Amino acid sequence: MALTSHDPIPTSELDGAVRDYSRDKVYVLTALFLGLVTVVEILTYAFPDFPAWSGNLVIAVLMILMAVKFFTVVYIFMHLRFDKPLLSWVFWSGLVLAACVYMVMLCTFRIFWPGQHG
Amino acid sequence: MASAVQTHESVAAADAHAAHAHIDHDTNTGISNTKLGMWLFLASECLLFGGLITTYLLYKHPLEGPTPKQIFDIPFTSTSSFVLLMSSLTMVLAVSAIERGDHQRLRIWLGATALLGATFISGQIYEFTAFVREGLGFTTSRFSSAFYTLTGFHGVHVTVGIIMLVSLVLLSLRGKLPEHRSETVEIIGLYWHFVDVVWIFIFAVVYLIP
Repeated sequence: MALTSHDPIPTSELDGAVRDYSRDKVYVLTALFLGLVTVVEILTYAFPDFPAWSGNLVIAVLMILMAVKFFTVVYIFMHLRFDKPLLSWVFWSGLVLAACVYMVMLCTFRIFWPGQHG
Repeated sequence: MASAVQTHESVAAADAHAAHAHIDHDTNTGISNTKLGMWLFLASECLLFGGLITTYLLYKHPLEGPTPKQIFDIPFTSTSSFVLLMSSLTMVLAVSAIERGDHQRLRIWLGATALLGATFISGQIYEFTAFVREGLGFTTSRFSSAFYTLTGFHGVHVTVGIIMLVSLVLLSLRGKLPEHRSETVEIIGLYWHFVDVVWIFIFAVVYLIP
């Protein structure tokens, strides 16, 4: 049976996968979603006084939007959601280690204390 | 001669079965060593880019020279970011195409990905040139050094990715990228998507967060 661009690729045909991979339609919808999130990010710059992200709230909003894009690409486009859990462990270990090490470094330089940088 | 013909036939036979049978890897994890190696490499890259981003955050307030707010062209960088984001879509479509055995679409999507990556790099070269003209050289301030090092390292990664994509297109054109080697495209795709997620982080932290 020939596969079409709409069919999921059966797990049995993939290298080490535990779930069927998504197909082209899901990828296109994911890209549209990512594009939409990017537009919202740009709106925070174009309209800085908008109540949803005014003042220091913009930092939190941008961090959340960035995280949404990051996890979407990693889970859908990089297939981490469908692959063996070992690969997730490998990647998240590196990311968490990096986040911890550099958070300690930023705290050591007191970057989160107002007036300490510069 | 006979050996060459036999090899050709065995490759053809493997291709014929590729759509219906995946290649088992003789490893303890059941994952190929190259794929596991790429994920380990990407995990180590988190530490590299984490260090560069942290350095930028520490030095983002320049003591001399132009400030980020004065020189950044957000609409232009937003367009570049969008281009790189869409290259992830074309990359994943290329992986999908080879898994279906559609070599023509594989080449189209790989070519599109390389083209979008080249557009991003062109934008970065233009941006760097504009910044230098405005008086922001590599050694102008601690901010400029951190900024150019971070974005330059990312640019080098994108350039390496483009070279790998073009190599894949050439391999495909020469018939050396059959379906049973789809994992090669997937692994290079992993690298490309990682370069994209790093830029997602850089775009928010460096350009957008005030």
